[in-house]
Amino acid sequence: VIGRPAELVIRHAHILDPSAGIDAVTDVRISSGRIAEVGEGLRGTRALDADGLHLFPGFVDVHAHWRTPGREDEEDIESGSSSAAAGGFTSVVMMPNTDPVVDKPVVVSGLVRRIERESRVRAYVSAALHMGLAGERLTEMRLMKEAGAFCVSDDGLGTQTAGVLRNGMLYAKTTGLPVILHCEDHTLATGVVHDGVAAALAGLPGTPASAEDAATATALVLAAETGAKVHITHVSTALSAALVGFFKERADVTADTTPHHLTLTDALISTLDGMYRVNPPLRSEEDRGGVTGALRDGTLDFVATDHAPHASEEKELPLQEAAPGFLGHETAFPALYTELVLSGRISLSRLVEAMSCAPGRWVNGGGNVVVGAPADLALVDLSEEWTVERESLSSRSFNSPYLGRRLTGRVAGTIVGGEMVYDRIGARLGARS
Amino acid sequence: LGTRNFLTLENTSREELREVLDLARAHAEGSLGHPLAGKTVCLAFFEASTRTAVSFELSARRCGADVISLSEKGSAIAKGESLIDTVVTLDRLGADAIVLRHPATGAATLAARHTGAAVINAGDGCGQHPTQALLDLYSLSGAVGGFDELAGRRVAIVGDILHSRVARSVIPAFRAAGVEVALVAPRTLLPLDAGAWGLPILSSVDEALDWGAGVLYMLRLQRERMTGARVPSVAEYARFYGVARRHLDRGALVMHPGPVNRGVEISGDVVLDGYSLIPDQVAAGTHVRSAVLALATGAAHEVAA
Repeated sequence: VIGRPAELVIRHAHILDPSAGIDAVTDVRISSGRIAEVGEGLRGTRALDADGLHLFPGFVDVHAHWRTPGREDEEDIESGSSSAAAGGFTSVVMMPNTDPVVDKPVVVSGLVRRIERESRVRAYVSAALHMGLAGERLTEMRLMKEAGAFCVSDDGLGTQTAGVLRNGMLYAKTTGLPVILHCEDHTLATGVVHDGVAAALAGLPGTPASAEDAATATALVLAAETGAKVHITHVSTALSAALVGFFKERADVTADTTPHHLTLTDALISTLDGMYRVNPPLRSEEDRGGVTGALRDGTLDFVATDHAPHASEEKELPLQEAAPGFLGHETAFPALYTELVLSGRISLSRLVEAMSCAPGRWVNGGGNVVVGAPADLALVDLSEEWTVERESLSSRSFNSPYLGRRLTGRVAGTIVGGEMVYDRIGARLGARS
Repeated sequence: LGTRNFLTLENTSREELREVLDLARAHAEGSLGHPLAGKTVCLAFFEASTRTAVSFELSARRCGADVISLSEKGSAIAKGESLIDTVVTLDRLGADAIVLRHPATGAATLAARHTGAAVINAGDGCGQHPTQALLDLYSLSGAVGGFDELAGRRVAIVGDILHSRVARSVIPAFRAAGVEVALVAPRTLLPLDAGAWGLPILSSVDEALDWGAGVLYMLRLQRERMTGARVPSVAEYARFYGVARRHLDRGALVMHPGPVNRGVEISGDVVLDGYSLIPDQVAAGTHVRSAVLALATGAAHEVAA
């Protein structure tokens, strides 16, 4: 008992971990921050009755903007990690397009120290692939890795020159860091919404799917040639998903898509509401179906939210003037469960694989409910129906495209390293013998 | 006796290397005399060079040759004369050997097709720099107690291998001498197919020492490579690909073809340290180039006969 956190037994939860092959109502015992035992009739100094709840490996989000440093009015590490915890996320990768950009070792080490103090969940720093994300000079990736960077990325802006991208991949390979890529060709991406029927009817400048597809193709070709470990983030078109599929055997490549590209389409553009501006833009129903199919069959490896908080003055504007981006952490699972699982488009098991196991493997080899693994877990009530409201969000911002929507399924508790970091069922937790 | 070109060391043999190094030692000991008396050596430098040009000129003069120096400035080259026409002109003027430095890979090979004079490649683009690798072997042999002592030693070549003609001569020459070679560079300074030579690829000087390198052969990082396209910063480069005093604790020797960027590939307090062979390399230049000129013009065999 000296300095050890108390044991916790979670009783009678329906544990679903497709990677570990668990799908049963049973107990799990947590000790010293790790999973100590899985089975029937377990006992511990503390117990949590989870009857009626599902227990998944904690969700893992490789794409979040916690706006720190620079825009702490929109989100900081405390609020971003609270939002993540409220969404069942136990590990999050922070993107580098902050102010200043995370492009120097001293910025990385500063963030790492703040994460240790302020984050409720495990958080990882993605450093910038090039200085100022300007697409010209490579960053000091090796020194940033020593300072604690987990990966490098060009997120937010992409890399507009193939030669720079290629050298960035080669250098990242030497450094041993994975590369997360935002694929967008700025010579094509000149609009604010998807260049489709809705844009045509509304009279809004369109960004064609080719802006993403051409950049994705370039990135994949370079990944195959250089052998770098590359992750393509927020794939939003059917063609980009198919391109990823083509390169799966030819490159060390993985890819994600977002909850909003899986559940929403450019039909929302007709509202002319700045809320719905996002990058890449909400696409056509055909694209939405394409990325859903690609997530179902594993061509797209997992889901990432692209959690992007914005102050209300940046969103309550005409679409053309609004900042692109949506909150993501807290609605990810409920939106996907409601729209994809309950409608029969994807199985619950595949959704858990895509939100926990697969991104967990990519980030830290975790994402499983197995003995010895860190006790990073999400308790979810699949029967709870709730309406997304400003008051229900833990983020410092409110720009969720699901505001006002009724969703089914809600996170009831989140455990990181054996500690309850989000708890809507606290009353059930008590000391029992 | 015929002339012999020195264009590349790609397919050189242990015996060829020994022959050059033995002759260089004879020259150093003063037993060669003036083998090039009556011969004409032309130095054609189409690219800036200090030590190689001076070293060749001194070697040729000490061996008794008549020397003609062409530089890009103040010659027909500046007027736009083609490489082939320049070489043919030198040939007809009676040059016995043409020492050629040129910014384009393959220039020496092209020149050799258009003259009966011996062509000595003094550096062609990112291609070859044979006399550099030969003088490196000469000075390293001297440091370790003889040519035969090179076998089995480990040499790490560190830096911009992609753009280095020195590396492309040093790699095959050192291997022919029995040296085990590893390459140390970020992927941005290696050919895409970094396995082209079938050598280990390491990613820092520390890793090279862990691998057992007894010699750190440092390449020059050209200033135009420091702008962030392939190397993020001098600080990061120096940290992982520079040799500092702390590296010398493990007894490795340091070599560099010059000119050195102090504080980039070699920290300032290491350049002239006791573990540095850099001054020896320069000194070896005239002996080795005298031997090469004597072999190239056939003069060495005339002396021997």
